[in-house]
Amino acid sequence: MKTFDSRRRRNIRILAAVALLLIAADVILSVSLRAPHVLSGWILFSLVVLLALYNVRKKLPFLPLGSSSAWLQVHIYAGLLAVLLFVLHVRWRIPNGVFESILALLFVAVAASGIVGLIMSRIFARRLTTRGAEVIYERIPVFQRRLHLEVEQLVMSCLADAGSTALSHLYLARLKPFFEKPRNFWQHLMQSHRARHRLLVEIESHERYLNDAEKKAMREIADRVRAKDDLDYQYAHQASLKYWLFAHVPLTYALLVFIVFHVVLVYAFSGDLN
Amino acid sequence: MPRPSAESVRAVERWSVPFSPKRSDEDIDRLLAIEPFSLIDERKFSGRVTLRGILKNDARIVKCEDGDILVREGDWGNSAFFVISGSVRVEIEPSGKGLPDEVLGRSKPKRKGLFQAIAQLWRNPSRPEVRDAASYQIDPRLGTRGGGDRTRIYLQDVSVVLDKYRTATIHAGQFFGELSALGRTPRTATVFAVGKAELLEIRWQGLRDLMRRDESLQRRIDMVFRERALESFLRDTPMFRHLSEEEMRRLVAEAQFQAYGQYDWAMPFKRLVQAGEAAGVEHEPLIEEEGHYPNGVLLVRSGLARLSQRYHHGHRTVGYLTAGHVYGFEELVEGWRSRASVPLKYSLRAIGNVGVVFIATPLIEAFVLKRSGPAGAGRRARPAAATSSPYTSRIEPDLVEFLVENRFVNGTATMLIDLDRCTRCDDCVRACAAAHDNNPRFLRHGPVHDHIMVANACMHCQDPVCMIECPTGAIHRDLHEGQVVINDQTCIGCGACAKNCPYDAIRMVEIRHASGGFMCDETTHAPIVKATKCDLCVDQWGGPACQRACPHDALVRMDMRKVQSLANWQNR
Repeated sequence: MKTFDSRRRRNIRILAAVALLLIAADVILSVSLRAPHVLSGWILFSLVVLLALYNVRKKLPFLPLGSSSAWLQVHIYAGLLAVLLFVLHVRWRIPNGVFESILALLFVAVAASGIVGLIMSRIFARRLTTRGAEVIYERIPVFQRRLHLEVEQLVMSCLADAGSTALSHLYLARLKPFFEKPRNFWQHLMQSHRARHRLLVEIESHERYLNDAEKKAMREIADRVRAKDDLDYQYAHQASLKYWLFAHVPLTYALLVFIVFHVVLVYAFSGDLN
Repeated sequence: MPRPSAESVRAVERWSVPFSPKRSDEDIDRLLAIEPFSLIDERKFSGRVTLRGILKNDARIVKCEDGDILVREGDWGNSAFFVISGSVRVEIEPSGKGLPDEVLGRSKPKRKGLFQAIAQLWRNPSRPEVRDAASYQIDPRLGTRGGGDRTRIYLQDVSVVLDKYRTATIHAGQFFGELSALGRTPRTATVFAVGKAELLEIRWQGLRDLMRRDESLQRRIDMVFRERALESFLRDTPMFRHLSEEEMRRLVAEAQFQAYGQYDWAMPFKRLVQAGEAAGVEHEPLIEEEGHYPNGVLLVRSGLARLSQRYHHGHRTVGYLTAGHVYGFEELVEGWRSRASVPLKYSLRAIGNVGVVFIATPLIEAFVLKRSGPAGAGRRARPAAATSSPYTSRIEPDLVEFLVENRFVNGTATMLIDLDRCTRCDDCVRACAAAHDNNPRFLRHGPVHDHIMVANACMHCQDPVCMIECPTGAIHRDLHEGQVVINDQTCIGCGACAKNCPYDAIRMVEIRHASGGFMCDETTHAPIVKATKCDLCVDQWGGPACQRACPHDALVRMDMRKVQSLANWQNR
């Protein structure tokens, strides 16, 4: 079985060789006064179609079309090659027409979202095993609701037993908003513990106003705050891993449509292209 | 403070659950009057385990009609049969050329055509567990008798079968099925009734006790075992392949078969898991102990065994052995080369039920080591040891411990997920659903060790305890490719497989019409239930869709017998 490292090295070598070949072809065509953008354009178009086909492969898991991981490897390196071809195709300039600018922006957005997605899938997956229990994304609201109910019951029991509202005030002001829905999305992605620390400090400092029964309840609430924070961490990372595709895939379809128009326009107004 | 009052309950005893509730003393008297039971000396039985008790509680009388299939090749069974009256036939065609799967009540693995595969895109129903009622029209070649748990598949035209396939007769007074019952191995042939026959089906526990107390029965079964099973097993063992006929005969005569551990390990293990406890090394039966001097080698014939080493005050699991693996050979070779006694490096313990064959040192010396001298012995030993190496140094010991403790090493297609690479995209679940009419056949959830998850999917076990009690043989191992599959057409929904599966990988589901309504039995009007589980996409192109759908190489279906593959996967 090939290691990931050796696979990566092999793929980078292939990518570098193909990239050098393409650059050489571009240079040769340029100095021979041909139109290198025709070749780069068509190769780029083919590559974008190939890249988009990965989504089709995903929809046909029951056909022997090769493993998804092999497709993803092709997708990643063909995507990087497409970036190089794009740069060659636009001759290192920013397009000036409205249509061409939108097309270029779409390409940049698709490429950027792909690279961000790749980085996330490599980093976030590893992070998910380091904090909190393994939880299925769709079940997160259930666990969140359960924790909220438990905290609510602890607060209510103190209200009835101790007759004090110190805990309930804290609950309404700080805990209820925290337990109601996922919180600190970006902070979790940035690996920041600040929000969790601040809330736990607040809880600790509030203890001086509580009687023994309330203190006991408060310690249990602190445990739930930690559990909810871990759940939020899972939510932030799993949601990011799921939803980046909602940008990448529609943008790809939009790009394909624009490319087709681009090709039609180019051939419609290119009397001397050939 | 009042003392809590003790609540009396009746302790469960060996025969609290008899094999059959219908037991009459007349039947027992009748059995005691026929050979071999009439020849057994009842005085050899003592205490609670009596001959009469065994026949009453560990055996049941089975009345068969013409064509009734009693056991099928490849089935897993925990009982043996004794022919009381009439006769039965055993099919003796070579494996793969015998009775077709459809006739035996099994599904014939049919790969979907290309158009059928693509058509799944729009043909897959939107509702769960939809079935085509027409598919339950009984195959004209397949007959069923009885009802509920006693449903039996029978051959409709026995005379045609007898003309077309070679068979041998098992007459009244003979046993069959005892080797697979005692050795926990698959049935090697299909047996069916010809005309009316009356059989005594004996649980393996009863047969074991009869053998212990009746020397002639023990001799007979031992002889049959040596003739039919041991020789072929030893011939398949690489270190004995070069032996001549004469040498093989001597080896077969002197080899000893030993069994360790609990035969019915699955249910106690399941209860331990449900109680959140694991069995632990010290509770497992010790086969050989580290530090002792070997007086031979052990060849694992069936089951799983744990290799462990003492580590401070406990034991550290270093590997596991499965069928075909050899224990103690390395130490013998070292001893042979250094002319000194080398103690065993590891302890060997039974996980569940283990069958081993013991070959004494003089035989190994004569047949293996002396053949090419000490240096050659070392060279000869290496490839054999390499193919059967239990030494899993490249796998983290904690992971081995986790896999062995939870019996995941039983799987031939255990679903492992590397959580460091898994993005939780659920492409695997969607692919599984797409390949199974929109019904995912596994849960992407399960016990986690470090970053390795063992997902809740059928592992297609080496020791498939789920197959033991299936009354119609609907759950069976595909004889060609080895997957454990369920024939939906002959599954009667009794739930025995789901109850027996120690890993809760089988789900009972209520099936529906395409309109969404539940399918109900025409007489009882109860919803029809079927057992469902992962079938490794046996009817799809390209193998398990889950593994092929994983974009990040996180999910793998691992044959746990291939320790090297596991090590390579973990160290990618």
